[in-house]
Amino acid sequence: MLKQYDSKAFFDEMMEMDGKPKSHYEQFHDILNRFSVEDLHEKNETAQLSFLRQGITFTVYSDKTGTERTMPFDFIPVIIPPDQWEQIEKGMKQRVKALNLFLEDVYNDQQIIKDGLIPRELIEENPYYYKEQASGLKIPNDSHVFLAGIDLIRDEHGEYRVLEDNLRNPSGMSYVFQNRFVMRRVFPEFFNSHQICTLERQLSNLHEALLSHAPENCEDKDHPIAVLLTPGSYNSAYYDHVFLAQQMGIELVEGRDLIVKDDCVFMKTIRGLHRVDIIYRRVDDDFLDPEAFNPDSVLGVPGLLEAYRKGNVAITNGIGNGVADDKAMYAYVPDMIRYYLDEEPLIKNVETYFLRDREAREHVLENLDKLVVKNVGSSGGYDMLIGPHATKAEIDLFREKIIQDPAQYIAQPTIKLSRAPAFQKERFYPCHVDLRVYVMGGKKLKVLPGGLSRVALKEGSLVVNSSQGGGGKDTWVLKKGSDDSC
Amino acid sequence: MLSRVADSLYWMARNIERAENNSRVLSARLINMLEASDTDAVAERDWEEVIEICSSLSDYKKEYSTFNPDTIVQYLAFQDGNPNSLANCIGFGRDNAKSAREIIPHELWECLNECYWNSIDVDRQYWNLQEVDRLLREIKLMSFTTQGVIESSMTRDATYTFIQIGKWLERAEKTARILNVMCEKARKESENPEEHHYYYWLAALQFVNGHDAYLKKYPPAISAKDVLSFLITDGTFPRSIQYCVNHVWDSVKDMEGGKVSHYSEELFDAIERVKIEFDEMRIKDLQMHELGEFLDQFQNHCNNIGHIFSKTYYLIEPTDSSVGVMTQYQN
Repeated sequence: MLKQYDSKAFFDEMMEMDGKPKSHYEQFHDILNRFSVEDLHEKNETAQLSFLRQGITFTVYSDKTGTERTMPFDFIPVIIPPDQWEQIEKGMKQRVKALNLFLEDVYNDQQIIKDGLIPRELIEENPYYYKEQASGLKIPNDSHVFLAGIDLIRDEHGEYRVLEDNLRNPSGMSYVFQNRFVMRRVFPEFFNSHQICTLERQLSNLHEALLSHAPENCEDKDHPIAVLLTPGSYNSAYYDHVFLAQQMGIELVEGRDLIVKDDCVFMKTIRGLHRVDIIYRRVDDDFLDPEAFNPDSVLGVPGLLEAYRKGNVAITNGIGNGVADDKAMYAYVPDMIRYYLDEEPLIKNVETYFLRDREAREHVLENLDKLVVKNVGSSGGYDMLIGPHATKAEIDLFREKIIQDPAQYIAQPTIKLSRAPAFQKERFYPCHVDLRVYVMGGKKLKVLPGGLSRVALKEGSLVVNSSQGGGGKDTWVLKKGSDDSC
Repeated sequence: MLSRVADSLYWMARNIERAENNSRVLSARLINMLEASDTDAVAERDWEEVIEICSSLSDYKKEYSTFNPDTIVQYLAFQDGNPNSLANCIGFGRDNAKSAREIIPHELWECLNECYWNSIDVDRQYWNLQEVDRLLREIKLMSFTTQGVIESSMTRDATYTFIQIGKWLERAEKTARILNVMCEKARKESENPEEHHYYYWLAALQFVNGHDAYLKKYPPAISAKDVLSFLITDGTFPRSIQYCVNHVWDSVKDMEGGKVSHYSEELFDAIERVKIEFDEMRIKDLQMHELGEFLDQFQNHCNNIGHIFSKTYYLIEPTDSSVGVMTQYQN
C-alpha cells in the first residue's frame, strides 16, 4: 500500500527507513493493506462529509460566500506507544505545574524576579501582563490554568519538544473527540484489534475540574453554577464552545446574557435572573469587561472584573495568563521548572537564543541562513525569518532589525518536523505533523490521552494551521498491557 | 433557560414552519400553473396572491413591475432582499438553531443544516424548475423530519414548549393570512358567479395541506362557507386557526403549571381574549367583508400575543433578522 512512500531525511511516525512499518504501527498497517485504494477513497469522502453534515466547521472571515469550512480530516492516525505517552504525560504535568506556580508568583510576591531569574522588564513590558487587574487575588486552588494546550513537535531524532504553550484560550479540543467519533464510524475495522485509551471519561474530568474553581463567596459550594462564555456564533471556534458546553451540561452564554448587580454575576433566563459562580470564558482578557479593559468591547460584561476581584465569581482560565505563554517567556520555562519544582524538564524546549545576550547574538548573526528568527511580540508567522528558505536581502533585513532592537527577537534552529503518511486524493504522501496536548487543571492536573494531531496537508508545507490548509488526525495512545487507567 | 436561547428556539420554529408553508404554497401554485390554461390576467392575479401570502406584495412591487413567473419564483425562493424568501427562512432558522445548539437534539440541527447546504447547492441565478421543485420537497421533508425529532426525542420542558409555541403561532397566522387573501379576492370578484370561486377555496385547502382532510369531512363539493369553517374553527384539523390557538393556550398553561402568576397575567389575558372571540363566532353567519375584518383582527391579535410573549419571558430585543421577519405581518 505504501510502496511508493518515501520517508526521506525526516523522522517518520509510521514508517522505518527500509519501508517497513514501525512495530506499534504493524497491526494498523496489516489492516490497511486489506483495503483497496477505491475503498479508502470512498471512506475518506464519507468522513469529510460527516463533518459538514454535523456542522463541525470553523469560520473563515475573509470570504463572503463560503464563510464556513470543515477542517480536513486524514484517517491515518498518529499512534503513540504507552511508554512514550507516559513520558509526555509526566512532562506536560510538570510544565503546567511550573507555569501555574509562575503565574501565582508573578501576580503576588514576584520572588522569581527578586531572585534574578527573569528580568523584570520582560514581565512589565509584556502586553498581556495585567498587574492592576489580576494581582493579589486569592484564586480557588491557586489554579490559574484550567485548560492548557501545549504544542509539541518531534525533531529529526524523534525526540518530543515543546514548541508553544497556550494558557489563554486553547481551542480544538472538540476536534479530538469528533476525529475519534468519525474514525470509529468510518473505520470500525481498526478498533477491534487495537487497545486504545478511550476519551469517554475525559469530559467528566473536565467538568469536575471546572467545578473545583468555585469562588470564595459561592452560595452553594457543592453545587456551583458554571457557564461557558462565548463571543458568539460567528466566532471561529464556536463549534468548540458548543461542544464543550453541551458535553459538560453547562449553559453556553454570550456577554449580553450576563449582568452584574451588586458585584454578583447573573444570567438572564426566562424566569428572571440566576446567579452564576464560575465562568469558563472563551473571550480574551481584553474583551471581558469594558469597564476594566477595552472600553469599546461589546462582547463583555460591565462590572465583571469587580465581581471577580471580590471573590463573587470565578473566571477561568485566569486573567493575565498571557504573561506566561508568549515567545520570550517560553525560553524561561525550563528555568521555571528548575526554580519552582527543583526538577529537570522532562520534555525539552526547542533551543532558543536570546538576542539581547551578546554572545548569543554574535552566534546568531553569523548563522542567520541556518536559523529561524521570530519577533517575540507577534504571532501567526508574521515578522519571522526562516533562514534556509530566505533570500539574501531578507537575511540582511533581519540582520538590521536584530542590531537595532535585539530584545525584540529570538532565534531557534530550523527543526526538521517529523512527518506521518497522509492519504488524500487517492494516494499516500508524507506530511509534517504536530501535536497539541490538553492539560486540565483543578484540584490536580490531568492530561487528555493523545490530543489533537495537526497535519500540514499541502505537500512540503510546514503550516499545520487550519486556516492555511492544515488538517487533523486521530491520535491513539495505546494501552499498556491490561492497564485500565485510561 | 437563557432568554436569548428561548428566543432563538421560538424563531427557529417559526422559520422552519414558515419555510414549509411557503414551500407548499409555491409548489401548489407551480403545479396549477402547469395545468391551467388561464388568460394572462387571471394568471397574474394568481401570482399576486401567492406573493401576498409568502411575502409582501408591496415590497415586491417596489422592485419589480411585472409578474413574470421566473422573477416571482426567484423572489420567493432565493432573493436576499426578501426577508421571507425560502433561502432566508432556512438560513435564519439554521442560525437560530446554531445559537441554541447545545440544548436541541443533534439530529434536529443536522437535519436543518443539511437542508441549508442543499439549498446552497442550487445556483441562485441559473436554476431550473426541476431544481426548485426538488428544493421545495426537501424543505417540506425537513420540516416534517424536524418535527418528528422534536416529538420523539425532546423532554416536555420549557425548551420544547418554546419551539411548539413558535410553530403554532406561525401556523395560525399563515392560515389566517391565506384565508384573508382569498376572502379579499372573492369579495373583489363578487360579480362573478359563485362557482368561479371554487378555485380559490380549493387553492386555500391545498396551501394548508388540507384538501384530503376536508374531503373526508365534507361532501366533495367545495363551498366557501364549509372551507372557511373548516380552516377557522375546526377543532380537529391541525392547521385550523382555532386548533393552533388552543395549542398555544395549552402550551403556555402547561409551562406555567396551570397557574396564572403576576408576570404571566397579560399573556393569559391576550390568548383568552382570542379564544373567546372564536367561541362567539358563527362563521356561517358572516359576510365576506366581515370575515376579512375578523381575519385582519386575528392577525393583529397574533402579533400582539407574540409581543406579550416576548415580554413575559424576557426574550431579547429583535435583532435585524427577526425584525425582518416580524414585519411581514404588520399591515
